Amino acid sequence: MAPRPTRAAAAGLLLPLVLALLAGACRERPVAGAPITLVFKHAKILGPADPVPGLLRRFEADHPGVRVQSEALTWSSDEQHQFYVINLEGGSPPFDVMMLDVIWVPEFARAGWILDLTPSVPAAERAAHFPTAMEPAVQGGRLWALPWFMNVGLLYYRADLLAKYGFRPPETYDELAEQVRRIRAGEHDPRLDGYLWQGKQYEGGMVNVLEALWANGARLLDDRGRPFPEPDRAREALAFLRGLIESGVSPGWVTAADEELTRRPFGDGRAIFLRSWPYALDLFELPDSRVRGKVGVAPLPRLRHGPVGAASTGGAHLAVSARTRHPALAVELARFLTSETAQRAMTEGAALRPSRPALYRDPVLVARDPSLPALHALMLRGHPRPITPYYLMLSTTLQPEFSAVLVGRKSPERAMRDATAQLEHLLRAVEPALSTPR
Amino acid sequence: MRGGRARDALVLLALALYAAPFFWQALTSVRPDAELLPLTQLWPSRLTWAHYDVVVRQSLMPRALVNSLGIALLSTLLAVSVGALAAYALARLPVRGRGVILLGMIAATAFPQIATVSPLYLLMRALGLRDTWLALVLANGSFALPLVIWLLAGFIREIPRALEEAAAVDGADRLAILRWVVLPLVAPGMASAALLAFLFSWNEFLFAYSFTATEASRTVPVALALFPGVFEVPWGDIAAASLLASLPPILIVVVFQRYLVRGLLAGALRE
Amino acid sequence: MSSSGREAADRRLGWYLLAPALVVLGTLTVYPALWVLWLSLQYRIPVFGISRWAGLDHFAFLAVDTRFWNAAWVTGVFTVASVALEGALGLTIALALRGQRHGRRTALGLLLLAWALPSVVTAKMFEWLYHPAGGLVNFLLGARAINWLGDPALALPSLILADVWRATPFVALLCYARLLTISPDLYEAAQVDGASGWRTFSRITWPLVRPILLVTMLFRTLDALRAFDIMFVLTGGGPAGSTESLTVYAYRALFQTLQIGFGSAIGAVVFVLVMLVAAAYLRLLGRAERTA
Repeated sequence: MAPRPTRAAAAGLLLPLVLALLAGACRERPVAGAPITLVFKHAKILGPADPVPGLLRRFEADHPGVRVQSEALTWSSDEQHQFYVINLEGGSPPFDVMMLDVIWVPEFARAGWILDLTPSVPAAERAAHFPTAMEPAVQGGRLWALPWFMNVGLLYYRADLLAKYGFRPPETYDELAEQVRRIRAGEHDPRLDGYLWQGKQYEGGMVNVLEALWANGARLLDDRGRPFPEPDRAREALAFLRGLIESGVSPGWVTAADEELTRRPFGDGRAIFLRSWPYALDLFELPDSRVRGKVGVAPLPRLRHGPVGAASTGGAHLAVSARTRHPALAVELARFLTSETAQRAMTEGAALRPSRPALYRDPVLVARDPSLPALHALMLRGHPRPITPYYLMLSTTLQPEFSAVLVGRKSPERAMRDATAQLEHLLRAVEPALSTPR
Repeated sequence: MRGGRARDALVLLALALYAAPFFWQALTSVRPDAELLPLTQLWPSRLTWAHYDVVVRQSLMPRALVNSLGIALLSTLLAVSVGALAAYALARLPVRGRGVILLGMIAATAFPQIATVSPLYLLMRALGLRDTWLALVLANGSFALPLVIWLLAGFIREIPRALEEAAAVDGADRLAILRWVVLPLVAPGMASAALLAFLFSWNEFLFAYSFTATEASRTVPVALALFPGVFEVPWGDIAAASLLASLPPILIVVVFQRYLVRGLLAGALRE
Repeated sequence: MSSSGREAADRRLGWYLLAPALVVLGTLTVYPALWVLWLSLQYRIPVFGISRWAGLDHFAFLAVDTRFWNAAWVTGVFTVASVALEGALGLTIALALRGQRHGRRTALGLLLLAWALPSVVTAKMFEWLYHPAGGLVNFLLGARAINWLGDPALALPSLILADVWRATPFVALLCYARLLTISPDLYEAAQVDGASGWRTFSRITWPLVRPILLVTMLFRTLDALRAFDIMFVLTGGGPAGSTESLTVYAYRALFQTLQIGFGSAIGAVVFVLVMLVAAAYLRLLGRAERTA
């Protein structure tokens, strides 16, 4: 009696498992003697042309026997992060060089997922990038990633409309609101929106809120990592953002808008001001753009207690996976892609801005893009979001609270109170205290 | 003897309206991009296959369809094969603690996935099963198992004991009775259970989203949820992908309706 | 073989046949259920290698966490509203279907389609229907400005509507099956007696269909409490948490911030809640059955 039921039971259990194992085992196996393949994981490059394939071919030409396979990430930053975490956390990730949002570098370094680049990158190379780009890449005195391209928040404005009414670009938000009122009163166009920005509940929304806080001289965290060290100014800044919507200076839908959803209306001529990143400028200057030649760029205005141009920097860095099988080659690829030649090619081909200040004064590049010197000044004034391995955790915890203020569901006081409670709970888990907050 | 053909037709029309959202999505999948946003007319000026082309040639949906199919079939196989044996034991054999076990099965059907997803995630990670078919086969199969056992136990109990006793008198042992008498009779019930298990696995989202990372194991719901759009959301493409994702469920509802209904009714009417 | 010997052999066979199922369920369902309770008492963030005892800190935090209570509120409203609407609508559809003579298969097919679709498909479908500029809803209403999913006041009702659409067929099917078993003689007798439609319904139909309606409402309640897919994909818990249920909150804590300990605590709360509701419902059903 005993053998047959166990056999039946075992068959019932093992058969599907065996099939599944076979299915799972059908993965590619590397062939001995084949060229070395490096996998480069990056997000799709926005803009007129994609310079990356050309650069990769150049690297392959300089390194015979090496192939570089380019793999695209999804568009959403949150999904990219989830992809990286799931792959890096599990062991051997199938890529060698990866493009990281600058805010993830401390996190990935702390988690031990990326290679220490300090021995491979000389100090001169490090000094060739913007300090605000290098700051997040350096943790514990070691270098973990190289800046690839740089971003800074800025104010786009319709130069033609402002000139028509005799306005200069606003230096305070009060001025901005007033200019919006007067222009809209004069234009009699009900479809002309005032000030567009990104208020959706995602990292971009967080950036907008941080910029408002900084514009009022408030920080998110103090040096010990405690939230809202200047509560009154923070409250004012949050109330200001909500006020933009309530007063109609900004349309209600900005609370669900990201970069692209705000770029398009401005590019169609349906808004006076836009807060966005430099990439939009290239798209506004395309031959078939309705606002071609009519767009100006200025530093972000200030609120009562803060400075002008308190913009967030951003951008992407290149890092090497700690588990790569070809560390030396991968580091070389990263260094090549962030070199002056490569960044020059990227600036020419795509809507990207380099992380090397020298390129902003290069005559050839400036001739193609006269806005570079202005952007250079803006980049110098911007500062990074809080540099801590826990930044993403902070951000995703705070986003709903800020979103509630923007949408009018919570008062700034309540949101700040709830946010503080949530942050304290989070920080209890991740002691010790944070480093270099803003 | 209520109403007549007119009334029946009216009810059918009402139900067609009920299913209208689906038909609208089907229409969206063949509507040209230019007429999607903003919507100005109900019927498109022309039909286009461009969205299906994009989905089939440029998206990850084809691979996701393969993944979903394989995982659903395997997890169904797991749930039904293991479940049939267990159901027979619980329905017919004097297992000690049978009532408690059955009660446990019923309680297990109420387990929320969100509660078990974090331990399972850690487990899959420890076993190195992340981004594999096996992880989802195990997760889906085990989640469907209690329901399958409950259903099949009920179906088996419906079989008259007399048939089994007659076979026993003829000299057949338990396993032979199971194989030659019970299983053939409960086969329709097994089909119903298999359909429900397959449908569950095909539609399952939470585990798939948490345990998969690349197209190696991404299933259809995850691929649909993460459908890439660079500038704006490609509603036409998403509609086309949705239609493709709905093919097996539609097939089951249209072709295997009888078994599906039987399974649903058995699950609820047996209290 | 003696009868007691046969019984012992049967019992052994029973255990062998049960063993695979018990192994599978033990490792993949029971063990995780216990493990999640254990995890909820830890600070556990694998990315940073954080793994320490937290005691009841997570639960103490949840007790005063406004986001948790908001999620509980959303879950409660979603569940009660969905189940009530599904019950009412499902019963109505079942009553309408009962007299169907022609095209029954087609009718059931059209109805079950909504139920069989993957919830992600349903979510994307409704996201498109609710789209302010391209959606059918605004088109039919002639309104361009209504932002169904972006307005905090409208998002939850819109979500509930989508879920009701998806789940009503299940209720309708079960009520319909029960209605079919009611002998037509009862109705003929009522007609002969001159009873009105409402009388017929309340005296004959309702008492007979009520038990099955309660059972399906039980299933639907448990499903609504556990619901994740449709709200995650349709609204992601937004705008501003107005559609963030407990499951979505738990998921965000687990996989967005990888706070496995904290996320497990929320998951454990959902687990206990669902079990309590199931137990309460079963007792209610038992009492209803006894009085019937």
